[in-house]
Amino acid sequence: MTVFHELRRRTAAPAEPRGRVPGEPRRKRPANKKDNLAALVFLAPWLAGLLVITIGPMIASLVLSFTNYDLLQPPEWAGFDNFVRMLGDERLHSSLQVTFVYVFVSVPVQLTIALLLAVVLDRGVRGMAFYRSIFYLPSLLGSSVAIAILWQQVFGTEGLVNHFLGLFGVPGRGWISEPGTALSSLIVLNVWTFGAPMVIFLAGLRQIPSMYYEAAAVDGAGPLRRFRGITLPLLTPIIFFNLVLQIIHAFQAFTQAFVVSNGTGGPSDSTLFFTLYAYQRAFRNFDMGYASAMAWFLLVVIAAFTAINFYAARFWVFYDD
Amino acid sequence: MRHVVSRRSVLFGVPAALALSACSGSGGGSTELSNEPVTLRFTWWGSDARHQRTQQVITLFQEKHPNITVKGEFKDWNGYWDSLATTAAAQEAPDVIQMDELYLASYAERGALLDLSRVSDHLDTGGIAEDVLATGKVEDKQYGVPTGLAAYSMVVNTDLLDQYGIEVPDDDTWSWDDLKEIGAKVSAAGGGKVTGVQSWGFDMGGLNIWTRQSGGRLFGDDGNVAVKPAVVADYWRYLVELADKGIAPPPSVTVERATATLDQSGTATNASAFGTWWNTQLTSLSAASGQHLTLLKLPGEADAKQRGVYHKPSMYWSIFSRSKHPGEAALLVDFLANSQDAAEVMLTDRGVPVNEKIRTAIEPKLDPADQAAVRYLNDIKVSPPPRVTPNGASDIEKILQRHTEQVLFGQAKPEDAATSFINELQAEIDAAA
Repeated sequence: MTVFHELRRRTAAPAEPRGRVPGEPRRKRPANKKDNLAALVFLAPWLAGLLVITIGPMIASLVLSFTNYDLLQPPEWAGFDNFVRMLGDERLHSSLQVTFVYVFVSVPVQLTIALLLAVVLDRGVRGMAFYRSIFYLPSLLGSSVAIAILWQQVFGTEGLVNHFLGLFGVPGRGWISEPGTALSSLIVLNVWTFGAPMVIFLAGLRQIPSMYYEAAAVDGAGPLRRFRGITLPLLTPIIFFNLVLQIIHAFQAFTQAFVVSNGTGGPSDSTLFFTLYAYQRAFRNFDMGYASAMAWFLLVVIAAFTAINFYAARFWVFYDD
Repeated sequence: MRHVVSRRSVLFGVPAALALSACSGSGGGSTELSNEPVTLRFTWWGSDARHQRTQQVITLFQEKHPNITVKGEFKDWNGYWDSLATTAAAQEAPDVIQMDELYLASYAERGALLDLSRVSDHLDTGGIAEDVLATGKVEDKQYGVPTGLAAYSMVVNTDLLDQYGIEVPDDDTWSWDDLKEIGAKVSAAGGGKVTGVQSWGFDMGGLNIWTRQSGGRLFGDDGNVAVKPAVVADYWRYLVELADKGIAPPPSVTVERATATLDQSGTATNASAFGTWWNTQLTSLSAASGQHLTLLKLPGEADAKQRGVYHKPSMYWSIFSRSKHPGEAALLVDFLANSQDAAEVMLTDRGVPVNEKIRTAIEPKLDPADQAAVRYLNDIKVSPPPRVTPNGASDIEKILQRHTEQVLFGQAKPEDAATSFINELQAEIDAAA
């Protein structure tokens, strides 16, 4: 159950961003130097990792985004050329479109399913731990290479889906090899990993005091009314938290498209995610400067959507504290 | 005699020395052979069979040169190029590199490959015909030694044709229309399970042949795209017709097959009677299919403006320009290219050996499919090979695949796709220059 506790603690976090913990002054005791040292020692592995593996390369890529760098020869300063070039790059625009469709279709559908299942499971289904594990499993596997390969088989022309449709006389098709349906199959794959937000929802549901429901039931509110009037509003911080996380996560999707399309983003660019295109520019076209610029652009896009999310949250998220 | 180092000589000398060292900053080691233990890294892509054979060759080489240890690093085609690009960027690429024609210029012109004339003391290329050797040159410098030759061919499943009572066409005279006709017959007889022709259209070989038969070239000597849009559009119209009439599988199957392995192809699974392949792939195809497969000359050669077929160097041996042991690396390449012991292990796995002496020596050891491949290569009449794929155009097959998909799925007209294909390819070449 430790994972569950961990999740619960994490879900509790966004519920108190306003810092409304009144009357708890900072500890007066001057920071003990020994304590600081110990903290630093324990943090050192993480700090080293952060600096060397994350921040270092990020700064390098920021610098590279202003250069022409073909990996094999030293970078040449290019000013804002890469960013200007992005304006006229049609494949980049199409990859942005593919990414937006993926994010804004798969995330709402995934969260809806996760929420509904969480509510059902929360009503004390027998063997709940079992179901919870089963539903959570895809989230652990979802972005793995193995599942992407499985997807390729399941949605192939000779795959499971077509065999199933064949039973009802419905003609099959190449779900991932036709431009019209390839992206949809990847969206289905992402929706399928609803387990992670579901577990978080479950944790959130547990925190809603049962007395609210009892009071509502006494007043004659039906299940739907209770859901709309109690569950949903009290769960909004959790919904918000899931929404932010899943949107960021979906923007960064890469493995599924890479494996399913064999690195091409095909058929005819229908699964060319922004990340995949950046990868192709960097390692297939020896265009690391441009790819770095793309990566920073994506960071700005994600940051913008997260900011919008936080702004909009003021109008619909309810903090019960 | 006293040398007085004057203040002036220091002032001028130091920057000059720095500048000189910057110019010659290839960073590679000495080409002298060392007596100390040396470890070489050697990388290639390919199938399991190739990995096993190459490891055997490495063992033979190490027995001959006890102070040299060779570490093999092998991958599949896609992962190979990603990994080579990153290791080369980190200046840590393997010493000996199996190189492809698509990437030779891209790596050579960016200074990642060693000019092999620097190690000619240890690497003998005398056994290789001049024109074949020239295919490994970029800007007049030898950056790759061809490993072997291959030629584009039509593989036909004669068991399937027998079964349907269809005669094998005369490959000295047949045209692309004949292929269409006979393919339609097979598809009709196959009743949906077998198609006449296997889908193709994503590899450069097919477009190359088509262009050459029309009298054109994919790339001009200046390294720019030279093919005319009308020729590319024609090529696609032919592919679309095959798919529309059921002579080849539907586009969605074609797309799936494009990413599948050789064993899953229409030819290997006996699901298609005709398929275009490199002649040296006949052995693996025959093994997978279990039926009688034969090599035919390509359609359209008889009435072509110029022969489409040519001797393609299957791949090259190259040396990383910053290798710390270029001398020893050259020894290994020499062994791979010229040793009969090595050739007897590798046989035609990396193409029919270019060294005539070796080719004759291994011929009796070949199995029937391999012998047929060698015979095909000796028999066909070829025209000179196309120039090496220019720097920047390494991605041509990916660009071609994307546009072929758009055409096959009816998202773009062949003419429009042809213009777009050519523009995009040229843009990549311009960007790399």
